[in-house]
Amino acid sequence: MTSLTPQLHASLAAQVDDLIRGPQYALDQPEKEARLLPIVRELCVDMGRRCPPYGRFLERLGGDPDGWQSLADVPPLPVSVFKRFQLSAVPPERILRELHSSGTTGQEPARIVIDKTTAFRQARALVSILKEHVGAARRPLLVLDAAESVAEGEQLSARGAAIRGVGNFATETVFALLQLPDGELVPEWPRIERFFNEHGDEPLLLFGFTFIVWTRFVEEAERRGARFSAAQAVLLHSGGWKNLSARAVSKAEFAARTAALLGCEPGAVLDFYGMVEQVGTVFVDCPAGNKHAPAFGDVLVRRPGTLEPVAPGETGIIEVLSTLPTSYPGHALLTEDQGELVGVDDCPCGRKGRYFRFTRRIERADVRGCGDTFAQSREIG
Amino acid sequence: MSVLRFLPGGTESHDSLGPVVDAIRARQAWLADVPVDTLLALFDDFAGRLMRDPHTQGLEGAMFLAAWLKRNNLENLLRLNFNGNPAYLDGFQPRGRDYLAAKPHGLVAMWMAGNVATLPMFSLVPGLLTKNVCLVKLAQPEPQGIDRLLAVLSESGAEGLRGDELLEAAAVVWFDYGQGELSEAMSRAADAKVIWGGQAAVEAITRLPRPEHCVEIVFGPKYSIGVIDRKRLEGDEGALDEAVAGFVRDVAIFDQRACSAPQTIFVERNARLSLREIGERFARHLERLGPKPGSDPYTTMQILDARASWAVDETRDVIASTDGANWTVCLDREASLKEAVQSRTVFLTEVDSWRKVIPLLSPKVQTVGIAFADREDALALAEAATRAGAVRCVRPGLMNNYESPWDGKLLLSQLVRWVTLKP
Repeated sequence: MTSLTPQLHASLAAQVDDLIRGPQYALDQPEKEARLLPIVRELCVDMGRRCPPYGRFLERLGGDPDGWQSLADVPPLPVSVFKRFQLSAVPPERILRELHSSGTTGQEPARIVIDKTTAFRQARALVSILKEHVGAARRPLLVLDAAESVAEGEQLSARGAAIRGVGNFATETVFALLQLPDGELVPEWPRIERFFNEHGDEPLLLFGFTFIVWTRFVEEAERRGARFSAAQAVLLHSGGWKNLSARAVSKAEFAARTAALLGCEPGAVLDFYGMVEQVGTVFVDCPAGNKHAPAFGDVLVRRPGTLEPVAPGETGIIEVLSTLPTSYPGHALLTEDQGELVGVDDCPCGRKGRYFRFTRRIERADVRGCGDTFAQSREIG
Repeated sequence: MSVLRFLPGGTESHDSLGPVVDAIRARQAWLADVPVDTLLALFDDFAGRLMRDPHTQGLEGAMFLAAWLKRNNLENLLRLNFNGNPAYLDGFQPRGRDYLAAKPHGLVAMWMAGNVATLPMFSLVPGLLTKNVCLVKLAQPEPQGIDRLLAVLSESGAEGLRGDELLEAAAVVWFDYGQGELSEAMSRAADAKVIWGGQAAVEAITRLPRPEHCVEIVFGPKYSIGVIDRKRLEGDEGALDEAVAGFVRDVAIFDQRACSAPQTIFVERNARLSLREIGERFARHLERLGPKPGSDPYTTMQILDARASWAVDETRDVIASTDGANWTVCLDREASLKEAVQSRTVFLTEVDSWRKVIPLLSPKVQTVGIAFADREDALALAEAATRAGAVRCVRPGLMNNYESPWDGKLLLSQLVRWVTLKP
């Protein structure tokens, strides 16, 4: 197996870098597709050569890459595969760190290997995206999490990876929570108050995971009767809504009560969609409440069963495409989430390309019936 | 309204199960007096109407149901279940100097699985044939064809009995399983419970409080397999093709969700066909099935996960439809039962000998589809498999044919109390 020639490799890298550096939401979909498809094709083929398991995946399920007519023809790898296989395209000595998903009970976490190039691209890509949502200037950052989440080491959780990524946008980073020996997270109120006292009248950035933000910061602050005056604050939050939905907290209520606590506009509370399998490729809410794909990646919503891309207004399984990874096969990933494709090139916010809304995690179907059993001596993976 | 009742002409809502239970209980004495022969005649008429009914032609399993309802078949079932004499259901029959009769339990509460549209009928008809009043709870709020089946039954008739009269002794309902008080009320009203479903459903329903005398008949989660022997693989082409076609029919029907549908099919290593070549034969038959009617996101993800997991592994292989998640053949050589993915996903596993399959069998395995050219080996496999816990050994193509006994149970005979008279 041979990799791309150095010249072609350099040319591909330059094209990806151009996409990361350039405006993120300026290309309309046909133009974007025309630029992305050849890059994604080459990246997938190259990845197939350097990562033999992915090469087998392409060979057995991908068809002829030269025949891929659109991004929808690129065979998506389900993210669940990273829970059972370590898919790496680089030798161990070139692995900078391994990212781990949180994993649900009884499940292996996903393991994503990151090399220096991927890490560098992810950091720059995230900054590029955030610039278009919160402005170019770096800001003081209050992380609504504990410092332990980003502890130094070769392994990093999904939370840690996201915090590190957003940290690239910070002039100063303060962690708002303390992790107790039993793992419980509690607010460090003196530190939080000091942060707002020092920076309350500046443009600020706050970041955290939705459920942690709500339960460890917003609800705790409301119980204390706390209120801050950070009119220029922007809160970015990410993570599933399942636990909050179970508490009957809607997205609107989350934004309204959080904004009231911070003293900012509810529109400054921005949900973003992302995953450990594609750090850097994030989809931030626009003012119209939609999530847009950045220039260096894309989103597809596929119909269950046929896997055809859905039309605007339809829901399906979310697939995310990215040109960032060089160390693992993460160019076309089928998520475990459902979303609605809201539209293409016509969002009221003015951003181009496909835009969508996350609707829910894919849950086990109720109707699998009496044949839905686990084999007693099964061996999977 | 929290309880939805399906009627031949539509639906009605109730605040509680009480009025529904009272209404069918009121028909208990009347039903006890209906001769079993009259019930057989009515179901035979129902069978004929089903075969002619244009609205049920497209309902999966409806034609099999019609054949199953024919008098001959039900009479055979009764004879099998009642020691050759269905008249035990009509009253005391002499047995030596004494008398014996089969009396209904009373009210049978039936919890349906959502995977087979005609399943409620395979539970309701035995219930009524044994003169029990029946409360049937569907798994989903959508009737999935049961409304039409009830309509055809209500229009059926026999001398002395009309279908709509008989249906006064039965209620088909749905309520959300989260409404614990309704589930409890249903269980407390039962003299017998028939439960069809996966592990979570069975565990939840068997935990519900019930009267002390109430019996539970459980058709729980099961796994089914197929086995093809070396001689079949090396022998007559036509016979092999028929076996593969049969297994593919077993895979296709009910979207492979029935407990009797094969998930893993073991093939013996042979001198003629490689595992890949056998997989391609399955693929050719699967390709002819056409598109699936629909698929939920979870099952789609399971299919794609299995495909990818088999594709990346160098010790495995996979053949998949190019039109989405329509069908998949996963190939490997690990002698194991693969986790059921369902929805036209076949795990084809090569083994040195069919004997390697025996240690994998347990009471969790229901049906073994046997495609053997060697009859002695087929009997030896059936003997070993049933000793290990399997309950059905059938030819490919017959795996999903509902029959009695099912899951090792003679359902009709379990729906009665055997009573004695020694005058």
